[in-house]
Amino acid sequence: MSEPVKTVALKIDGQAVSVPAGTNVLEAAKTIGVDISYFCYHPGLSSPAVCRQCLVEVKGSPKLVPSCYTPVAENMEVFTTSEKTLVARQQMLEFTLVNHPVDCPICDKAGECNLQRQYQSWDSEPSRIDEDKVHKPKMVDLGPTIVLDSERCILCTRCIRVCDEVAGEHQLEMAWRGDREQLTTAPGHVLDNPYSLNTVDVCPVGALTAKDFRFQMRVWELYTTDGICTGCATGCNVEIQHAQGRVQRLVPRENEAVNKFWMCDDGRLTYHELAKNRLGGARVSGAPKSIELAIAEAASLIKSAGPGLTVILDAQSTNEDNYAIAKLAHKLGATTAYLSRRAPDPSKADKILRDADQNPNSKGARAIAEAVFGSANVKPVDDFDGAGLLVAIVLGGHVSAETAERIGKVKTIFISPFGGVLADAATVVLPQAAWAELNGTYTNRQGLVQRSRAALEPPGVARPAHELAALLAKKLNTTWEYATWKSLLKELKDTVPAFAAAEAGRERPLVQLRFAHSRG
Amino acid sequence: MRERKKMVLGVKDLIDYADDPEADDELPTEPMKVNMGPSHPATHGTVRIVLTVEGETVRDADVQVGYLHRCFEKESEYATYTQVFPYTDRLNYVSPMLNNVGYALCVEKALGIVDKVPERAQYIRTIVGEMSRIADHMTCCAAGAMELGAMTIFFWAVKGREWIWELLEEISGARLTHSYVRIGGVSYDLPPSLPERLRALFPKIEAILKDLTDATLENKIFRDRMDGTGVISQADAVSYGWTGPTLRSTGIAYDVRAAHPYLLYDRFDFEIPVGSKGDNFDRYIVRIDEIRQSIRILKQALDQIAPGPVVIDDPRIVLPPKQAVYNTIEGMIGHFKLIVDGIKVPAGEVYSHTEGGNGELGFYLVSDGTGRPYRLRVRPPCFAIVSALGQLIKDAPLADIVPTFDMMNMIGGECDR
Repeated sequence: MSEPVKTVALKIDGQAVSVPAGTNVLEAAKTIGVDISYFCYHPGLSSPAVCRQCLVEVKGSPKLVPSCYTPVAENMEVFTTSEKTLVARQQMLEFTLVNHPVDCPICDKAGECNLQRQYQSWDSEPSRIDEDKVHKPKMVDLGPTIVLDSERCILCTRCIRVCDEVAGEHQLEMAWRGDREQLTTAPGHVLDNPYSLNTVDVCPVGALTAKDFRFQMRVWELYTTDGICTGCATGCNVEIQHAQGRVQRLVPRENEAVNKFWMCDDGRLTYHELAKNRLGGARVSGAPKSIELAIAEAASLIKSAGPGLTVILDAQSTNEDNYAIAKLAHKLGATTAYLSRRAPDPSKADKILRDADQNPNSKGARAIAEAVFGSANVKPVDDFDGAGLLVAIVLGGHVSAETAERIGKVKTIFISPFGGVLADAATVVLPQAAWAELNGTYTNRQGLVQRSRAALEPPGVARPAHELAALLAKKLNTTWEYATWKSLLKELKDTVPAFAAAEAGRERPLVQLRFAHSRG
Repeated sequence: MRERKKMVLGVKDLIDYADDPEADDELPTEPMKVNMGPSHPATHGTVRIVLTVEGETVRDADVQVGYLHRCFEKESEYATYTQVFPYTDRLNYVSPMLNNVGYALCVEKALGIVDKVPERAQYIRTIVGEMSRIADHMTCCAAGAMELGAMTIFFWAVKGREWIWELLEEISGARLTHSYVRIGGVSYDLPPSLPERLRALFPKIEAILKDLTDATLENKIFRDRMDGTGVISQADAVSYGWTGPTLRSTGIAYDVRAAHPYLLYDRFDFEIPVGSKGDNFDRYIVRIDEIRQSIRILKQALDQIAPGPVVIDDPRIVLPPKQAVYNTIEGMIGHFKLIVDGIKVPAGEVYSHTEGGNGELGFYLVSDGTGRPYRLRVRPPCFAIVSALGQLIKDAPLADIVPTFDMMNMIGGECDR
């Protein structure tokens, strides 16, 4: 048992604050909404107090103290807006900007740049320096993912600490001194750790830019939607940032219980799959057909199958999609369910965030299959042999080539966002909406049921599998009481213990990043 | 051969009604619904009036506004404070400068900088505002007269309006959609020749006013249609929320410029013309007199205005000079943040009102501390005024609708937002 945390009472700008002992002054100020400007501090990293931007006046201290590095003390009196503090803050900014290039119009960070924000909030005066700026290397290739612009760097060392403390690899270092100091990799090394793109997020300026997002989009024009990364079973919370009908980038969203402030590079790049090999239209026996005809064909297939019907559920799809398809198949006579999933990749696993299981919803899909069919009747898809089966409803279809061949021996109704061998072999293909295009929940490796929101419209007539299930049920004259994905989740919550804590959350208006702070 | 009746075109056996004992009796009528508008040549504004008429008498009128609704208020929530100016141009589009000024004053009140706006900027705002008011009133009077048949008067007055708009174009670069005012001042200084050219314009405008009054005040047709039509009582006008020239036509001397002086209006000598009967003619003549008062204010403003800055010196409100934007990071960031994020207005709410062309133009602003309005509500003067139209034309002859509607001076852009 941990000991009760001792609290410390202090005063910030005259307001009484009570925080746990060991908290730094900067975090204590945040609790009462006082914004102390800072560059080098990051709540997820250690505090080196190198930027000197967070200096505050403390009663009894002869000099200003860095608030990110100073723990709170009993009866401490802090002044964050005293004249001394404000002058220090303003002069630090003037100093930081002395060698900063006039790059905003071509800088990817412009619009979400901490330096721009701090300058406009706390300084906004012209510089008094009339010297040429120091020039440093631009467009330095640091590794496969990152490009460095040394001139923009304000030497906060956050990126070094991310590599050290999150990725656990010391790949970045400061070299030279004074106004020639610059960030570099050690000779012969590259910045190639699997968490390298977090350096871009923490960079307070545009010094580190992601090759993936560089020059793609002005950030303030992006719309942001809360999603869940589908790259592995960790289920990192992400913001799906999108514009012009496609996802432009994924950035981590803070969740202390899952991913803290971080996510891996592989996860960030998963959005590229959304533009490849997509199914936008329905097919019957390989020929494009309207969704109505395809549903009718699928319904007559299911009717003809009788007890020879089975279902393959999918660890890539949401709980609601799985539950709807499982429920439909069970109602229509299926007695067994198979679970398909992307093959695990142990080479991508580590003890930080990445998991060998490459599916976002392995736990959820299994819990649903077992709840609907009973745990004895749920098998991995590799056990599929087709014996005694006539028709299979296949969700997702992430199976090996051999299994695909075995599945191909029965007639299939294939529901997936992506084409492939199974789609080509299927009797009926129904296009499914992909993860960025639907509302639903995923159960991560900890068993947390996490909500993902629809950011985009699905292509063509694609739609979530639970909507396809509703269409099929209507065609088959089966009772279907699930009007929306929320009613599916509600039933799961009420009946399956693994979903007892699930919450759909409230709907939110779509927010453009430039407005994110006014409406979000 | 058959005998054919000879028919002479255009000649009929006319009944001599003078001898007809039934000629003076009312013809039997029954109520009929007639649509006036939304696009009607005699309504200078897009408004639909569903009339129930009995013969020539209006028995009921259902006035329907909203045809020019452009989501001004909603759009403003998605624009930075500066980006709202072009939208305000399109409120009362006959006097855009007055809307510019009214909106700027509202944001400045929220920012707490009303008193810090440089004096020259306040004079400039007064000058362009009063020029706009002249143009606005001239348009109203001219169009009103035209729709009663006096085409010549319209051309006279609109000629004068064009002189003013030429000057406003020279000041702002645009004839109608000026977007000239900025938060904290105005976008740039007046052209050096402006005072001289504006002074030269006053006698010409006064001459037009003389022509206008000569042609209308003693004109029987005009007076018959204006006198005693569209009469509203003081109590009704107040309870409908009337302001501006239409309220003053009833004899109530309420003018925001005098009652709640803003800008530098307490430095000027001017009078508030009022009517006595609250009819269409009073509304006409009040406007004519107000043009004279505006000229009086303009003359004083031109005498008093002194050189100086035209915009507040605050880098968090005003864009840095282009020289600094292109060459220094400080200027670049300032420019960037003001354009992308907008001017940060402290959280809170304010109501600010000015005397627009039609009356009290109010802006009610709720700020959440960001660079965009959380809510911006406009109190358009003519919305309140037009709401009384149905009452004023009820039981009046059909012919009274046009002068009554004209003298209300409904401006669709402002009324419907």
